[in-house]
Amino acid sequence: MHRGVAAVIGAALLLLLAGCNGNGQHAADQVIVTGSTTVQPIAEVAKEGFERTHAGVHVLVSGVGSSAGIENVVAGTSDIGTSSRDLKGDELEYGLVDTPIAYDAIAVIVNPSNPVDGLTKEQVKAIFEGRITNWKEVGGPDLEIGVVNRDEASGTREAFSKIVLDKERFDPTAVILPGTGQVRSVVAQAPSAIGYISLGFVTPEVKALAIDGVEPSEEAVVEGRYPVSRVLHFFTKGEPKGLVKEFIDHVLSPEVQEKVVRDAGFIPVTVKGIER
Amino acid sequence: MSETASEQPRQQLKLMSRSTYLKEAALKNLFLLCATMAVAGVVLIFLFVGWRGWPVFAEVGLGRFLGGREWLPTEGLFGILPLLVGSLVVTLGALALGAPLAIGAAVFLSEIAPPRVRAVVRPAVELLAGVPSVVYGFFGLLVIRPVVADLTGGLGFGPLTAWLILAIMIVPTIATLTEDALGSVPDGIREASYAMGATTWQTIWRVLLPAAKIGIIDAVILGMGRAIGETMAVLMVVGNAPVFFRGLGKPISTLTSQIVMDMPYASGTHRTALFGLAIILFLISMGLVALVRGLSRLREESR
Repeated sequence: MHRGVAAVIGAALLLLLAGCNGNGQHAADQVIVTGSTTVQPIAEVAKEGFERTHAGVHVLVSGVGSSAGIENVVAGTSDIGTSSRDLKGDELEYGLVDTPIAYDAIAVIVNPSNPVDGLTKEQVKAIFEGRITNWKEVGGPDLEIGVVNRDEASGTREAFSKIVLDKERFDPTAVILPGTGQVRSVVAQAPSAIGYISLGFVTPEVKALAIDGVEPSEEAVVEGRYPVSRVLHFFTKGEPKGLVKEFIDHVLSPEVQEKVVRDAGFIPVTVKGIER
Repeated sequence: MSETASEQPRQQLKLMSRSTYLKEAALKNLFLLCATMAVAGVVLIFLFVGWRGWPVFAEVGLGRFLGGREWLPTEGLFGILPLLVGSLVVTLGALALGAPLAIGAAVFLSEIAPPRVRAVVRPAVELLAGVPSVVYGFFGLLVIRPVVADLTGGLGFGPLTAWLILAIMIVPTIATLTEDALGSVPDGIREASYAMGATTWQTIWRVLLPAAKIGIIDAVILGMGRAIGETMAVLMVVGNAPVFFRGLGKPISTLTSQIVMDMPYASGTHRTALFGLAIILFLISMGLVALVRGLSRLREESR
């Protein structure tokens, strides 16, 4: 209900913006992109490059959340709705066309000296909720688990919380560190530590665990086998055409995929083994 | 008596040339301006923080803000008690470790060290004050934390690591001020003590430290102000879990580190609550400064 109200208000604001901008012929030279805050950094940087090559064209990007983005594109107030989740329920019935633009995968990392090589998603959930507190409960040595969490401003934490914890509460007594680099260096040093970082930032100084028996790799993510991952979508109402198609093509171009998407810690859709 | 004393400066001014008088007046006003700027800065910051933070007492409620036992912004719980306890634990522990170290260093510099040793040690102590706190933080995270982890179990984030780092950080503040306090003890008192046959240790312990007592307490309080306000170094080693103190090697959080952790994404009541934390910090600092002022007055009266 609240979501709906927010979406309507957001749509109204965007219409206002569009109206102010360019004498009412906005459909011709504007692309309106709303939705997921996770996708926002990619869309923002892509917008800059796109506007440079398309003089007089404006791309409006706003992060209002995946659900609101999908509602906006269904209502026709946005050209592209961005989302960090798949469509569900009613949303499937509006004939939205899905263009995956990147993969977001999170590696659960431990110290290389830790004999544990893999956990189930359920075990990871229990560890981060504070219900499993010793490595021996998951087949490791008799050692207290040192949980390393991220701060709430982190997009990685948000994704991890959604995918693994089903939005349940994290163990409040866990260590919270404000950056991927700090999490990685602490896990690299401490034999009892467990943490999570974007798959793109894993280095050999830490060990990424297999989850539900699947080793984290770009191939496993792209083939949809690695469970702690999600697809970042662009949804359009019907096949994209005109400027909207040009913008999507720009986002899918190697220059955006290999630089912008990689720099943000995501996996490009251009990685081999794509069709799924 | 008082009449002639106030007459005197006016007479001196009359003896100056006009240009010297103008220069003097200009300088006097320049310095007045400098002092006013400092005061204006403090007042403006206080007004800003107060203006942004004040609504928290209405939105959250005084009791639930100051007395709340849970800090869970996503669930609308803004209890600062765990953070307040965290700040106190971290500060007091750092003082317990750092103050004796700093006072010892000051005694050594002021009373014992030969000039050549002093020429090396004093700049080294002063250099400690110039090291950026993020460097202390990294040192704590990568060097001290693993050692603490071996001692306490767990990951080594928590009060003990913060104490060790902060103890080093507050040494320059306390040591320089203590050295000043010892230096202001008249030499006659030292000489009298030695003339009575007292050893160096007896002179330091029985005569000099008691004579410089209030100055040393001043120094410790200012060191406390430094410790309670320190943010970056603490943030990196304390663990940042907003829960009550549970042990030397268990993560806790402090007022300052919580502000930095939450500020990037906080909005609405949460943001107001962070400014509320800043008000509390400001009040604590003001209390400490008032304490120092009061003690200085005591020192002047006892003379």
